[in-house]
Amino acid sequence: SLPSQESRPPYVPLTDFVQQLEDYAPTIPDSVTAYYLNRAGFEATDPRIVRLISLASQKFISDIANDALQHCKMKASGQSSKKQGKDKKFTLTMEDLTPALAEYGINVKKPHYYT
Amino acid sequence: MSFDSDAHARARRKALRVAVGALCTEVGFGIVEDSALETLTEMLQSVLTEIGRASRSYAELSGRTEVMITDVVMACVDQGINVNSIPAHAKRVNKSVFIPPGQSTPHPV
Repeated sequence: SLPSQESRPPYVPLTDFVQQLEDYAPTIPDSVTAYYLNRAGFEATDPRIVRLISLASQKFISDIANDALQHCKMKASGQSSKKQGKDKKFTLTMEDLTPALAEYGINVKKPHYYT
Repeated sequence: MSFDSDAHARARRKALRVAVGALCTEVGFGIVEDSALETLTEMLQSVLTEIGRASRSYAELSGRTEVMITDVVMACVDQGINVNSIPAHAKRVNKSVFIPPGQSTPHPV
């Protein structure tokens, strides 16, 4: 599926947005992102750039998880009435994740015996 | 790969796992299968490394040693990440933050 148009009319240029990241805490801690960036040969000096990268990769994972949730919900509505009784929690399984990843052109192949 | 920083690598990896878990909870999942969590963690690590590598390459291509925002944006576009939707993601209402691990040990460079 194509990413929805989330850019709103009062469009903030990305450079201005990065300035706002001065006191922002992403879900992925700065030190963790900086570690992986350093490992890739990227010497992260500006914490705002590190935070921008954290946010970009969070968004990537979040979008995939959201697609998987849609798959999960579609499957749940198919087999209605049976389990709908209790306000159940959704479970992220490989069964839902694999088709979501396939939309991104990623083929997951894991041996069955590998947990 | 270096083995001297194995313990550090393991700690960062655990932090990534927690971050993926938090993101899945935000999206609306209650439970995550172990193999699915592991797959997403692997992908997050991969995308972080790839953005780092690509943005460094773009900086070097322009004859710089310091990475600028434009390099990161180019790297993100290469990965197929919609850059214009990042501000909306940053301002989401149910954002969860957890305390980063291990400030006690000095950061290995």
